[in-house]
Formats: sequence, structure tokens, C-alpha cells
Amino acid sequence: MNESGHIVVQGIYKIFKKGRTDEVRAVDGVDFSIKKGELFGLLGPNGAGKTTLIKCISTLLIPDDGSVTVGGYDIYKESLEVRRHIGVLTGGERSLYWKLTPIENLRYFAALYGVPRKSVKNRIEFLLELMGLTDKATVRVEKLSSGMKQKLSLARVLVHDPPILLVDEPTLGLDPYFARFIRDFVKNELNRRLGKTILLTTHYMDEADELCERIAFMNRGKIEAMDTPVRLKQSMPQKQVLEIKCQGALDKGIFDGVREAASINVSHDDGLVYVRVNTDNPEVILSNIIELVREKAKIVSVRVTVPTLEDVFVHLTGASLKDG
Amino acid sequence: MNERGGGLSSRVFHYLRAINAENIKEWKIELTYKPDFIRQFLEPFVYLFPYFLYGFALLGGRYSEHLRSLTGIGDMVAYTFIGYLFIGFLNTACWAMGFSLRKEQWFGTLETIFVAPVPRWVYVAGMALHSTCHQGLIMLIQAVAITTFFAIVLQTSGIFLALSAVLLMLLGLYGLGIVVAGLTIALKQWWVVSEALSTLIVVVTPIAYPLAVLPFVLRKVAMFLPTTYGIIGVRHFLLGENLAVSLPTIFLRLSLILVVWLSFGMLVFLMMDRYGRKRGSLSVY
Amino acid sequence: MWVIIEEVRKSFRILLAYPVEVVFWIFSPLLWVIPLVFQGKALIGAFNSTSFGSLAGTDEFIPYVLIGAIVSTYMFSAVWSMGNSFRDETYYGTLEHILSAPVRPGYILIGKGLYNSILSTSFVIVQLLICVFIFGLNITLAKIFPIFLFLLLLIVGLYGIGFMAAALTLLIKEAHGMLHMFEYVLFLFSPIRYPVEVNPITKAISVFIPLTYALIALRGLLLNIEFNFWKNSIVLLAIDCTLLPLGLFVFRRIEKRTKTRGTLADY
Ligand SMILES: Nc1ncnc2c1ncn2[C@@H]1O[C@H](COP(=O)(O)OP(=O)(O)OP(=O)(O)O)[C@@H](O)[C@H]1O
Ligand SMILES: [Mg+2]
Repeated sequence: MNESGHIVVQGIYKIFKKGRTDEVRAVDGVDFSIKKGELFGLLGPNGAGKTTLIKCISTLLIPDDGSVTVGGYDIYKESLEVRRHIGVLTGGERSLYWKLTPIENLRYFAALYGVPRKSVKNRIEFLLELMGLTDKATVRVEKLSSGMKQKLSLARVLVHDPPILLVDEPTLGLDPYFARFIRDFVKNELNRRLGKTILLTTHYMDEADELCERIAFMNRGKIEAMDTPVRLKQSMPQKQVLEIKCQGALDKGIFDGVREAASINVSHDDGLVYVRVNTDNPEVILSNIIELVREKAKIVSVRVTVPTLEDVFVHLTGASLKDG
Repeated sequence: MNERGGGLSSRVFHYLRAINAENIKEWKIELTYKPDFIRQFLEPFVYLFPYFLYGFALLGGRYSEHLRSLTGIGDMVAYTFIGYLFIGFLNTACWAMGFSLRKEQWFGTLETIFVAPVPRWVYVAGMALHSTCHQGLIMLIQAVAITTFFAIVLQTSGIFLALSAVLLMLLGLYGLGIVVAGLTIALKQWWVVSEALSTLIVVVTPIAYPLAVLPFVLRKVAMFLPTTYGIIGVRHFLLGENLAVSLPTIFLRLSLILVVWLSFGMLVFLMMDRYGRKRGSLSVY
Repeated sequence: MWVIIEEVRKSFRILLAYPVEVVFWIFSPLLWVIPLVFQGKALIGAFNSTSFGSLAGTDEFIPYVLIGAIVSTYMFSAVWSMGNSFRDETYYGTLEHILSAPVRPGYILIGKGLYNSILSTSFVIVQLLICVFIFGLNITLAKIFPIFLFLLLLIVGLYGIGFMAAALTLLIKEAHGMLHMFEYVLFLFSPIRYPVEVNPITKAISVFIPLTYALIALRGLLLNIEFNFWKNSIVLLAIDCTLLPLGLFVFRRIEKRTKTRGTLADY
């Protein structure tokens, strides 16, 4: 059992046929392996194939090719053992019975997972306590807020105390307060304290940067790069970023003439436009860029910072995480 | 939880526990839709009476000399009632079991339960258990109410054999149910299959009429259905209907049918499950 | 106006994607008559019954039941698809768009109703043709107009019921069961399978069901049984005049309620 905790993915393909000729290469030849106790992140834009990959690993989908072992068990031949050792959490979607109470839900899942009868009661009490849901234990799930539902989903995932967790977009659709809670919980409680091996997917770069020990960039079914967040950021040839925050409508095209910049990314957030320029010498091109921006928009602030994961992603793929 | 699944007996125990958990969960969810729950208990009565009234209109009463000459039972109401009472289990197979996975999909819980370490047929089996209990309860109420209302006298001496015939019929129907459950994975319009199957079975099963009135082809079809022998058997034991085939033959065929149907059902289900996991089609409606 | 036509066209396009369903609705009445035929054969030993004749006006119970089956399926398929229409829309994920479009839902309902009646009427024509060719049913040209008159009178009243069914599906999520119950109640209390005269209770209740009058009239026409043309048509017309506005009213009220409470599309 000392292999438990490993996820080894080798040469996985999953291609969906759409009609006669069309096909979607959702997972297009992916290899990676996750060490025991590691918190590994898959970061990629919408449609990158993250969920498909998770479904393959959790035996919901049969890959077209490749091999996967989870905790030393083969997903084709020992799928029941694989499922016994994993907990799967998906964000945003319904994964609980809304007509039942938290206790009833957890009891049901405890039976499915074969949690020993004697320990079911204690386990459920412990989990509800852990998630701070004890006083909601007998309220129907439909009456809980979406943050509480997600907490309960976490309790459900832990009901059989699996050594490996597959977590797909855990903070999708949650307000910042609950998103914070879930992130801290995943990092501090599940990974650090309980030592769970975690594969987490997200398209929030901050989330991946903050939580994960290693990150794989995924785009169009392929892994583009894989390393620790720090090293990924160091891998950028240009060590500085010029960021201009402004209001108005900007198109990436207006920067076409700028030569000294390695790459320029325009993204929108909260009604503001962020222009990020990767460069080695921001002082040189500063005035040039500001000129160009001023023609179209009103500048709110200008600063020089270091590259983020988003910049690395743009640099590697030319695609943006947010607008992907 | 880190050791392997354990031996065969502990695995069987685990599956049984999961099946029962499924059953309990279904009861709880059903009880939250109270009006619907009450309706389900009233419906069989509203459903049954037209068949009696049709008979009344034809006969001008409840006694039929012709039925007596065919079956040995002259009371049209008793004859029809026993037939319709036990065919109620057809709902279990064609609807409840077939619906089980689709329903999880509507709840949004399908993928969540599919990553639990039990084979997927366990959920269908859980639904079968639930629906059988549910249907059994409805039937019990129906049986008491109708026999009292129409003063039908049942023979109680054969009750044990009657129940074993019903049990064998049920197991055979589960085979059918799991086929339908498998088809729901691959077919969008699975309910048409369900509807067609249940209509066909209702037509050829001797519910309100003996096999003798059926055309040759339909009679042959009826030979392959567990419901035929189940209903014939139970009516023989409870009302003393004349038998065209001997009792041992009935039980033998019932057992044979149940083995064939259950294994065929499992085969179809496992194939469809595999197909679904290749296509990823279960998650899209 | 084009909204209605668009709605009809869209529904047809969706239907054409489900050919099995069409086949199902065409054959369903013929299918459920079969057990009744065998039951009759088992009970009587022949295909005519004098006791049936004394109640129904015709000894031959098979054509009687067959017409009951066709007409009731005509009705139920309409009610079902009206009731279902909004459920379906949530499956197609478009309900919220439709209801937030600047169109009165009433128009959409009328569009759906129109589509349904075109569809079910063509089903009835196919079924009657099958009856003519296979069972030797005799339909003269002179009867065609009154037949369609009564079908029309029936279907207009159905709109009212259909609106209420649609409202019901907006209100409670398990409306399927309720619609089934409605169906069974009609089976019990209107002369679909047997003359309601068989029992004083069914006879008393049948008076309140529009289907009763349509069935009496249509059977009268098709099987040459005596019936009061004017009484049946006027009663049906009166029922139409109350059911249609009532249905629209109920639908509006409930639609408003679900909109203010925000329970729409929450399945
Ligand atoms: N069952 C399916 N049939 C056909 N195509 C599918 C199926 N499931 C996923 N796809 C396609 O595969 C691609 C990858 O989808 P996937 O859900 O894995 O992406 P993702 O990285 O999880 O994106 P998101 O951030 O939106 O969750 C998409 O183009 C999607 O349309
Ligand atoms: Mg995803």
C-alpha cells in the first residue's frame, strides 16, 4: 500500500466524435504523475479538457488510449478499487439530494462507500463539526446557501476518508468569502494536516498559484508546461511586467507596432481593462504604450510588477485564461 | 479504508447495504412530495374500476358463464382483479427501474454516485427493491379494499405457493427492468421502448382473460414472459383457476425464464454502461 | 400573429426529430383496445352483447370501444403536450428566454394549441382511415362535416383544460402524476370504454365532462346510433365558452405567481 497516493497518467487520449467528420480532441496525449501528499493543479481556460481528464481518472469516462493508475490501481481493471480510494468534488453542480437533510445525505453516501456501520455516526458528526454544519444537520439541503452546500459536498467527499481527492473547479460560483474558506480548507486541512493527495483543476490563476505545489498548464487537450509556480514564473525570459489599468474599450490590435515587448495581453475585469506588457526594460517602452492607450481609454493607474501565472500562460499559448 | 475490498462475502454485504441505502433514500425523497405520494395510493382504484365496469356493461352483472367454461371461475370481478393486482409489478420493471438512472441525472447526482465503489447495477437494484416495497404496499391496500368491497373470497391454503410464484415472476421482471435501465443510458427516447414493452406484456399476459382467447402467435409470445406464469399460478392458488399446464412446469419455466432474463438484462446493462462511458453520453440529456 | 406561426413551426421541427413519438401516438389507441377485445371475447364468447346493446345502443362493443379510444387519445395527447410544453421547454433550456421575451405567453400557448390540434387531428384522420379499411367502418361524405364540427368543439374546450394543465406544470413539479390521475378519472367517469349508464354514479358525474357529449355525438354519427344533435352541440359550445376563458385566466394568474415568487424553471 505504500504506492497509495500516486496518480500516474500516461499518454491519455479522449476524443469525442461530433457527427461524421467533426471531432473534439478533449484530452490529447497527456502525461503526468502526482506524488503522495502533493497538491497538484491543472490550470487551463474553458474547454481545455480538465473536466474530461478528471472524469477519465475517476472512471466516469473510458479513455480512448493511454494508461492511468490511481493509488496503484489500474482504472480499467480495478475501477472499483480506484473509486474506493478517491473522493471527487465538482464545483457549481448539484451533487447532493436537495430533498434530504445533510445527515441523510451523508448516511446514504457512507453506505455506498461501505464505511463500517459502527463508525458511521461518529464520522458524520465529526464531518459536520469540521465543516461547521452541525446546526444545519437536519435542514433540507435545498434550504442551505450555495456556500453551505459546497461545504456539505466537501463533507460528502470525505465520508470514506479517501487518500486521494480529485477536485474540479471547487470555487466556481461561490462568493469570495466561501471561496476563501474552501481554498484554505483544501490547502491547510486536507493537504497539509490530513496529508491527502489532491488533483485540483481551476481556471483561476490566483487559486492555482496560491494552492498548488506544482501546476500543469492545459490548453486544447494538451499540457503546455508543468512545474512549480515559482519556477514557471522564473521561466519567463522577460522579468518584468508593465501593467496599465484603464477605463474604455481597447483592442489588442492597437499594440501591433510595439516591438520591444515580448507579449501584450489585454483582459477585462470588473469593468476595467488591464493591459499587461512583458518586457525587460519597461522604462523604454512606457511612453510609447501610454500614448497608444490614451487614444482609446482613460488611464487609472500604471505600475511595474513581476510576471504572474497568467502572463506565463499567455506567453506559452498565446491564449488568455480568462477569455479562453 | 485503505485495504482492498475484502472477500466475496464482505463485498456482497457491502452491495446489499448499498441497495438498501438506495431504497431508504427513495422513500425519503418520495415522502417529500406528499400530494404525489397520496395520489399513488389512490390511483390503482381509479385505474381498476373501468375494467370492472366494462365487464358489467358486457355481462349485465359480474357472472360470466363463458369465462367459467374457459377457466373454472365465473366471477369476472375476482378473475380480473387478481390479474391486475399482480401485474402492478410491471411498473417496477418498466418504469421505476428504467427511470432510476435518469432520475439521478435530473437530480444532478448521477456522476456523484457513479464514482462510489459499487457497480452501477446496484443503483438499479436499489430502485427495484424500493419499487417492489412501494408497489407491494399499494397492492396490499388494494387487495384488502377490493376484496372487502366486492366480497371476493380467496383461498388461503395456497398462499405460500402463490407468493413463491409471484417472487419468481418478480425476479424475471427485474431482468426486464435492468434492460430498460441500460437502454436509458444510450437512448433518448427510452420511454417509448418502455411503453411498447409494457403494452405488449399487458396484452399477452392473461390478466383479464385466459390465454385460450389469444391468437396463436400471441399465445406463443406469452410463453416467454414471466408474468404469464406468475399470474396463472397466483390465480390458481388464490381462486382455483383451471390450469392448462401442470404446476411443476409452471415453476420450472418461471425459473428458466428468470435465469435467462436476468443474465440477458445484466449483459445489456453492462454493455450500455461501457458504451455510455466511452461516449460520455450519460451526462448530456 | 407571426409569433403563433413561429411557435407552430418550431414545435413541428422539434417533433420531426422524434419520429417514434408520432408512431406511438397514432397506434396507441389501437393498442389499448386490444386487451378490451380479448376481455370481451373471454367474458361473452362473441363480439356482440345484448346487455351492452341495451345500455349503449349498439350490440357490437368493439367499434364502440375503438371510437372511445381514438377520441380520448385525441384529447389526452392534446392535454399532455400542452401540459408538457413548458416542461419540455425547460429541458430545451429555453423557457426563461421565451417567458422573458416581449410576447404574451398566451400567444405561445395558442401556438402550441394550434400545433397540437393540427397534429392530433391528422392522427385521428389516419386512425379513422385505418378503421375504414381494416374494420370496414362506414363513413359517408355527409357525416364528415358534423364529425369535424364535434372534434372542433371538443378541442376548443380542451384548450381551456390544456392551459390549466400547463399552469399546473408551472406550479407543481410533479404534474405528470396529476395529469395521469386526470386521465384515469376521465376513463372512469366518461363513456370512453363503456356506457356510463352501467352505474348511477358514473352516469351522474359524466354529465360534467365535455368528453361525454363529444363521444355520444361522434359515436352516434359513426355507428348510426340515435342522439340529440342540437343538445350535444349546444352543451359543448357552452362548455367551450366557459373553459377557454377560465383556462386563460388560471394560466395568467399562476404564471404571474411563479414569476413573482421566482420558482420558475426550478426543477
Ligand atoms: N460527452 C461529450 N461529448 C462531446 N464533447 C464533449 C463531451 N464532454 C466534453 N466535450 C468537449 O470536450 C472539450 C473539453 O471539455 P471539458 O469539459 O473537459 O473542459 P474543461 O477544461 O473542464 O472546461 P471548463 O473550464 O469549461 O470546465 C470541450 O470542447 C467539450 O465541448
Ligand atoms: Mg470543467
